Order: sequence, then structure tokens, then C-alpha cells
Amino acid sequence: MIRLLNVSTMPPGTGQPILKNLTLTVPQGEFRWLLGPSGAGKSSLLRLLTLETPPSAGQMEILGISIGRGASKGTSRAALRNLRRRIGFVPQDYRLIGDWTVFDNVALPLRLRGASERDTRREAFAVLEWLDVAHLADKRPGSLSGGEQQRAAIARALIGRPELLLADEPTNALEDAQARRLLGTFQELVDMGTTVIVATHNEALVREAPARSIIVRDGTLTADPQIQDSFAIRPSGEQS
Amino acid sequence: MSAPVSPGLRSGSLPLLVALMTLLAGLALAGLTGVQTLARSWASAARNDTTIEIASDTPRLEERLQSLAEALHKVPSVTAVRVLSPSQVQTLLAPWLGNGSSDTGSQKDPLPGLSLPVVLIVAHAGTSDLGALVHATLPEAIVEEDRRWGTRLNGLGSSLVACAWLAVGLIVAIAVISIGMTVRRSVMAQRKAVEIVHFLGAGDLTISSTIAGRAGLLSFSGAITGLVFLSPVLSILARKLAPFSHSYATTIHTEAKGLLAGFWTTLDVLPQGLLEQLASLPLIAACLGWMTAQTVVLVWLRRLP
Repeated sequence: MIRLLNVSTMPPGTGQPILKNLTLTVPQGEFRWLLGPSGAGKSSLLRLLTLETPPSAGQMEILGISIGRGASKGTSRAALRNLRRRIGFVPQDYRLIGDWTVFDNVALPLRLRGASERDTRREAFAVLEWLDVAHLADKRPGSLSGGEQQRAAIARALIGRPELLLADEPTNALEDAQARRLLGTFQELVDMGTTVIVATHNEALVREAPARSIIVRDGTLTADPQIQDSFAIRPSGEQS
Repeated sequence: MSAPVSPGLRSGSLPLLVALMTLLAGLALAGLTGVQTLARSWASAARNDTTIEIASDTPRLEERLQSLAEALHKVPSVTAVRVLSPSQVQTLLAPWLGNGSSDTGSQKDPLPGLSLPVVLIVAHAGTSDLGALVHATLPEAIVEEDRRWGTRLNGLGSSLVACAWLAVGLIVAIAVISIGMTVRRSVMAQRKAVEIVHFLGAGDLTISSTIAGRAGLLSFSGAITGLVFLSPVLSILARKLAPFSHSYATTIHTEAKGLLAGFWTTLDVLPQGLLEQLASLPLIAACLGWMTAQTVVLVWLRRLP
């Protein structure tokens, strides 16, 4: 469950809030598209939900943990650390560690949770194989194409089945078939109780998998013009 | 290789920096040991003796000398009165006047044209002010309390030891600051990677321990390198200073031996305490590197939400 109540964020040193007075509830195990024009505040909202940016005003609750103004001031660092381990995030810029292999990047969330190396290896290769990048496990991210890096970032977010999955334009470097496959995975995660929020500009993708949307404009939320009650992937070629 | 859960420390300059600091610290410790040895020898030399000098042309010298000796023996704290022989006086004054042996061929003869004074050494328990008593009998006598020189030498020795400790402390402080700056530079260079693992849920201690472990290892290897470079310097210094040392009976004979053999002989001559201190430098450097890196990284991580 995600609950925001009058939340604003203001980056340090700037007098202007990026997100203004957001009030939002996303129940556990639901899917939301995060839509809006460029610069509207979609990535800022995702950074707020991944606890990278603390709220400057208001209250929010993520997966049962209340977070107040200043984030770490209201909640202990240990609680924030444990909360971050329950969240999977696919950043727009992938954020892979360049000195590490793809395998080590993908395995990191499980290692941080203290999983055994055997389980980590098994799960990491399972998700890498599913995303068709297992053969790149020993490569450094710098030697991969944009699409391969994106798949590695997706693998890192999916490993260990997070309770909350946030993705920022996760399909912009993927082929259509891969994008549809990824949406199928999101569906499976939602079915297993994961809350999934995906920011995208890909209107075709949204049309293919209609669902309730969070629409951001100028740092504020606007009403969802076309509320959908379900999240379902339509067969290829079918138009909404 | 263990599975990575945090970026490590990337710094090529840290081992070099620690090696240089180890070199300096080793030299400071060697200096400290030398000064401590000197101060101890000064302290032991500072006896409670009084030296009385009487010019040889003093009227009725024999008779008045006899009276003085009797008067001194009556003082309860005086334990012994000894009149130095002319040869002993000459030996005593040799540093200032020369012993004349090269000129005259005889050590027993006083220097030509020079009349040696009569010198009395009075040993006492340390509380007597003998000056008044001596001057009552022999106003011309010069009375010198060795104790006063002893106190001055003790003070000088303590000051030199304090200066040497200060030098060691300054080197440690500079090492800590330098390691801290190097670690901080490395963290800033890997800022993106550190932020990634932080936002994926890595604990502050997990990140700081990974970096600190590497810093400790690099500091240890740097200190070992520093010791390797320090050894020949100490070896050369020990050889140069050996003739001045009264504490160690061992004489260094390196002329007929190779450099390596000479080096080991020199190590044998160095005081045990100094060798132990030098051997502990890599461990101390590793601990300093580890603790400094931990502190720097933990403080830096506090700025992340």
C-alpha cells in the first residue's frame, strides 16, 4: 500500500517545490501507469517513492512504513534500509555499477538481503535467462547496448520479487516483443500481490494494457480521465 | 574473491602516502629512542657530587686543605671526600686543555707552564649546601654542584623526548588527515556506485566496512613498503652513530661484508624496543587506515536520506 497525504518535495537549495501537495493511494497488489508530459514530475514522484528524495512537507506511508518530513529524521535509517530492500526500481538511466559484472549488479539485492550465494546464483541466472541476457552475465555494463543494459536493470529490480516495483520508462530501449513480455511479467507480479507503478511515454503500450493511471502535470496530480478497473494485456495487434 | 555488496576503495596514492608516513614515523621513533637513551644516561650521570677547585698557588694550601677535609667529614650528609691526583685532574681537564701526550710523549707530566688546580670530589646524600662551609675555610675555592647540572640535563632530556613524541604525534595526525582526504576523494569518485548500493538498501556499515577494509589493506601494504625503504636509512644511521654510543657494546664491522650482511648486523645493533616499535608500524597503519576510512565514509553517508 502506498499512501501520500499532501506531500511536497523541494530539492535542497531550490526555493520551488517540484511536487506540490500530492495526495494519492495505491492499494497493495495493484498496477498504475504513471503518465504525464516530460518534466511534469514523473521521475521526481518515483524518486520520492524509492526514498531517494525525502518529502519536504506532508506524510507518506510505503509498505506500512510511515515517512515524514526529512525522511531519515522521522524514520530510523535501519527502517528505511529495510524498506528499500522491499522495493524494486528500474531507473531511466539504468544505474548499473560499471566496475561490476552484470551478474554482480543483478545479484546485489539478494546479497544485501543475506541470501545464500547458491540461491542468489540460481535466481539471478533465472531472471537473466528470462530476459535473454544470461550470456552477458560476465560482461561489464559499459560493453552492453542500451537495450541490454535496460534488461540488466530490469533483472536487478525483479530479482527477489519486490513488494513494490517502480519503473521509469522501462521499455524505451526494448523491442516490442520484449516490452510485451515485460508487461506480462508485471501482470504476474501484480497477481502475486506486488504493487507496480510504471512511468511511460509509450501510448501504444498503455493502450495495450489499460489500467488506472496516475497523471502528473506541473508537479501536481490530475484526475485519471479514463479509469480502468483491471490491468490486462491484450493480444498482440488488438487496439483499444 | 568474495561477492561484492559495495564498491571498494580505489586509490593508487594511498599505499605511497602511507609508505612515506611510515618512513617519517620510523625516523621519528628512531630519533625518540636515541633521545630517550641520551636522557637516561644524563639522568644516571646526575649524581649528588660537589666538585671543589682550589688554585695550586693558594697560600698554606696543604694546611687549609686538611682543615677543609676535616670540616667536610663532620657534615653528616657527606659520605666521601676524595682528592684527585694530578693525572686525574689532567684527564678531567683534557677535553679543554688536551692531554699533551702527543707533544711531550708523557701523560704524567702536566702541560708546560700550566699549574693544575687541586680538585676535591665530595659525595653527599644530596641535601647539603656545602658552598658556605667550603668558603668559610677557603674563600678562593670554586664550588660546583653536579646536581644542578644533572637537573638541567634532565630538563633538557625531557624536553627533547617531548619534542620527539610531538613529532611522532604530528606524523600520525598528518597521516590520518591525508588518509581521510584520500578516502573522501575516492568515495566522491565512486559517488554514483555508492549511491546505487545505498538506495538498494545497503547498510551504512556495510558500505563503510567494505571501503575501510580496503583502506586498511592498502595502508598495511604501504607501511610494509615504507619499512623496506626505512631499513637501509636506519642501517646507515646506526653505522654512523655506533662510535658515539656507550650503551651498546656491539661494534659494527661492515667493511669486509656485503651490504645485506651489514644490514642484518645493524639490525642486531638496534635496540629491541625500537625494533618492536618498527614492527608494529604496519599494524598501526592498517588500524589508522581502517578507522579513518570508516569515519569518513560514515560521516559522508549521513548526508544521504
